[in-house]
Amino acid sequence: MTRTAAVGGREVALIDLVDRLLAGGVVIEGHITLAVADVDLVYVGLRALVTSVSTAEEKGMLPRMGSAL
Amino acid sequence: MTDKLLHAPPDLDLFADDRPRLPDALSRRIDADPESVERGLAQLVLTIVELLRQLMERQALRRIDGGTLSDDQVERLGQTFMELDKRMEELRTEFGLEAEDLNLNLGPLGNLLDP
Amino acid sequence: MIELYAITDHPTPPLPQVAPLRLVATGDLAAICAPAGDDGVSADALWRHEAVVEALMEQRDLLPVRYGTRFDDEDAAARAVEARRDDLAMALDRVRGAVELSLRVIEPGAPQAGDGASYLRDRRRQEDARRALHEPLAAVARAAMTRPSPDRSELLRAAYLVDRDAVEQVTGLIAQLQAANPTLRLLCTGPWPAYSFAEA
Repeated sequence: MTRTAAVGGREVALIDLVDRLLAGGVVIEGHITLAVADVDLVYVGLRALVTSVSTAEEKGMLPRMGSAL
Repeated sequence: MTDKLLHAPPDLDLFADDRPRLPDALSRRIDADPESVERGLAQLVLTIVELLRQLMERQALRRIDGGTLSDDQVERLGQTFMELDKRMEELRTEFGLEAEDLNLNLGPLGNLLDP
Repeated sequence: MIELYAITDHPTPPLPQVAPLRLVATGDLAAICAPAGDDGVSADALWRHEAVVEALMEQRDLLPVRYGTRFDDEDAAARAVEARRDDLAMALDRVRGAVELSLRVIEPGAPQAGDGASYLRDRRRQEDARRALHEPLAAVARAAMTRPSPDRSELLRAAYLVDRDAVEQVTGLIAQLQAANPTLRLLCTGPWPAYSFAEA
């Protein structure tokens, strides 16, 4: 295998590695420096969601499908 | 460690990532600034829109299979989905979200959207 | 601060010398950790972490831990593992004797639909192709899962939990599926620790 091919393989496998290391594996509570902010974000998001859906509709973010179906 | 390729086509570049994802993937999660809060909100809303989009698309394909739609209806449906697809991509880009971000982890129930 | 690499059975064979690893035992489970470095999230840091987990995997079954899981000290780690003991024990049994294979399938030069009817036809075609690839592999695997793809040119992004001694059989099947689908490109990487099957 040429050096170029070897580098290419590693580069390509990195994508699969990232899928696994950052989004897979067992989650054990600790200083998960990656996830602390996530918990806060979801909390804020859920409370605001009720008011945000109507805003999303106004802004045309939700499709109007009626007649097409 | 070997290079991990168990089966690979010669045109490997197809599977390479042209987006510099790594630093983003992390900083997206650890920033707690207002922009992130807005992004978190967009993530939730867009996840729900994506869920609806998938359900509707599946339903549409079933109706087409059933042969109960006219050519005109199929065309109009397809156009709507095309536009929605495009709009979703624009919204994702606007909020710096990747397709993988449009999901909700429901703990023991797994993920909301299971592709 | 310490960083966690994996959860395994206790007792376990002696740990490899690849890092200053320590065993933190709680009952019949153990967490394997090392002093946390100040590595950020670079490709090198991820590969280094992965090399440790894979070295561990050579001699034992394990549950890989999410990257970046840190504790103040071993006691804190032991408490956290104890808190999830039942889940972890079940998960470890689920992946015992197995490794993970990753599959990505791309359709290079997929035609862009111009009109609505073509768009839906393409979607149907892609869905059918996905199923034709995923189903036979899921059938020979212990477990299977899929992830969202970043864009429409990627048809499938999947992970298969496969018995260690069945890896060759599965890669053989992938080669067959590739041959049967010349317009697609299949990429299989692995074997990986069972990251995608560690949580229920």
